[in-house]
Amino acid sequence: MEFIPGFHLFLGQNAQGKTNLLEAVYLLSTLRSFRGAGHAQMVRQGQEGFFAGGTVVEQGNHEVKFYWSSRKKSLGLDGRPVRKLSEYFGLIQAVVFCTEDLQLIKGAASVRRRFLDLLLAQTQPGYLALLQRFARAVRARNALLKQPRPDAPSLEGFTREMLASGGQVMQCRRDLMPQLAPLAVDAYQRIAPDAEALRLEYQPSVKADFEVELAQSRQRERVLRSTLVGPHRDELRLLLNDRSAAQYGSEGQKRTLAIALKMAQAEYLTRRRGAPPILLIDDVMGELDARRRGGFLPLLEQARHARGQVFMTCTEENWPRELSRDLIRWEVKTGTVKPGAANPAR
Amino acid sequence: MAHLPEPLAGLISELSKLPGVGPRSAERIALHLVQSGRADTRLLADAIVNASEKIQPCQICGALTEIQPCGICGDARRDPSLICVVERAVDILSLEKSGIYHGRYHVLGGKISPVDGIGPEDLRIAQLEQRLVEQPGIQEIIIALGSDVEGDATSYYLAKRLAPKGVKVTRLAQGMAVGASLEYADELTLGRAIEGRRALES
Repeated sequence: MEFIPGFHLFLGQNAQGKTNLLEAVYLLSTLRSFRGAGHAQMVRQGQEGFFAGGTVVEQGNHEVKFYWSSRKKSLGLDGRPVRKLSEYFGLIQAVVFCTEDLQLIKGAASVRRRFLDLLLAQTQPGYLALLQRFARAVRARNALLKQPRPDAPSLEGFTREMLASGGQVMQCRRDLMPQLAPLAVDAYQRIAPDAEALRLEYQPSVKADFEVELAQSRQRERVLRSTLVGPHRDELRLLLNDRSAAQYGSEGQKRTLAIALKMAQAEYLTRRRGAPPILLIDDVMGELDARRRGGFLPLLEQARHARGQVFMTCTEENWPRELSRDLIRWEVKTGTVKPGAANPAR
Repeated sequence: MAHLPEPLAGLISELSKLPGVGPRSAERIALHLVQSGRADTRLLADAIVNASEKIQPCQICGALTEIQPCGICGDARRDPSLICVVERAVDILSLEKSGIYHGRYHVLGGKISPVDGIGPEDLRIAQLEQRLVEQPGIQEIIIALGSDVEGDATSYYLAKRLAPKGVKVTRLAQGMAVGASLEYADELTLGRAIEGRRALES
C-alpha cells in the first residue's frame, strides 16, 4: 500500500484493525509497540511471528524490514541486517497520540523517562548507545550488590562505567529541558487557553555530584542490594499552577497535558530536523471537545504544509468534521484496508 | 518434523548444539553426511576426534596448542618482557595476523560479568600473577580486551590488581578506525579518540 503525503483517515468499527496500521508504522520507527505490548503479544494468534516492512521515502528511498518471532528476530535496512540499533534509530520519526499517553501523567516516573529518552534517541545519534551502556553498567552493578560479599574492585570497575555513561545521560536530559519545556507550555496554552500555568521540571536523582552521592548511598545500597542513585531514578515533574498534575489535576487536565507533551515532542522533532515527523493519532480526537481539537489544528496544518504524513483512526460516528479538508479516507474492515468512499477530488 | 530414523535424529540434535548452527542447517548437514561416502564421513569423524584429543590450552598462556608449552610461549625469539592479555584464545589469531606484536600472550577466558555470574576468580587472573612471579623479566602487561562495559570494567580491575606488582600496565588505544572518516564515527568513539590523542611526531 502506498500513502501519499497528507492526512490519512482510517475509518472503521471497533476491533477491525485500524490501530494495527498505526502500530506497524510506530514499530518501524521505534521497534516497540505504543500500547506497551511486548513483541510476543503482537503476534497474531496461532502464528509464529510477525513482520512489518516499508519504504521510507525521503531523500532517497530506504527499505526497512522487521521480523520477530520467539526464535528469530531480524531488522533489515536496504537488504542488509542492522547490527547496531543506534544506527537505525532516527530513520523514521513518528509521534503517536493515543489513550495510553495518559500514563505520561498518571504513570510511574519510568514512563516519563522513556518519553525523554525516546526523544533524545530520535534526535541525538550517540544517545541510545550511551543509554544502553549505562543500563548495562547498572545491571552489572546490581548483580554484584546482590552477591553476599561483593568484590570491591569489580564493583569499582562497573561503578566507574556507570558514573561516566550516567553523567552523560543526565547532561543530555538536562540540555533537552530548556528546548522542550517552552514547547510543551505553548502547546498546553493552545489547547486549554484560559487554563493554569504548566511547568516542566527535570528532577535528577543526582543533585550535584554523582560520585559523591553514590558513595553516600553505599550503606543503603548494601541493605537494599541495588543502585539507588543515578539517572535511572530521574523524574520529570509536571506542575499545573505549581501543583503536581498527577495528584491535583482533573481528568480533563491530565488528558490535555498528555496531548500537549506529545505535541511538544512533534514540534521539537520538526525543529531539529526541519521536517515534521509522521503523526499517528489513535482515537484521541473523539475524546476532545471542539475547542481542544482546535488547538491541535496548527500542528496538522504544519504537517500539511511540509507535505508530512498524518495517520488517524476513527470510528465512523465521531470523526471530527472540521478536519475534513483534503482527507484521504480508508475503510478498515476485518483486517483489510481499502480506499474509502467519497474521497474528495485532489 | 516427520518421523526420522533415530540415529539421524540423534545426529541432527548433536549438530544443532554447535555454535552458529540452527535446526535447519543441522538437518541439512546431517542429511548430507548420511548420504555421502563412508570414507568421507570417517575422515571427518577422525579429524574431529583427533583435534579434540590433541588440542589443549597451553599451560602457560592458555592459547590452543598441540604441544606444551605452545609455539608462542616456547619461541625464544618472542619478547619475554611483554604480555598481551586477551579475552579468548581466538583473539590471539587476530593479533598474530597483524604481525606487529612480538611479545607473548595470556588468555583470560572471559570478562567479569556479574549478570552472568562470572567473577574475577572464574578468570585466569591468578595464573597471570603466577607468571609475574615465575618469569621475572616481564615488564609490561598490555590489556587487549573489548571496550564494552564488561571489557572496560575488567580492564580497570586488572590494572588495579596488577598495580602493586611493579609492572607497567597499558591498554590498547581506542578511537578512530583506520581509514574511517569523522563524519561516520559515533560520539562515544570520538570521545575516546579525543581522550587518547597523541602528539604528532615531526
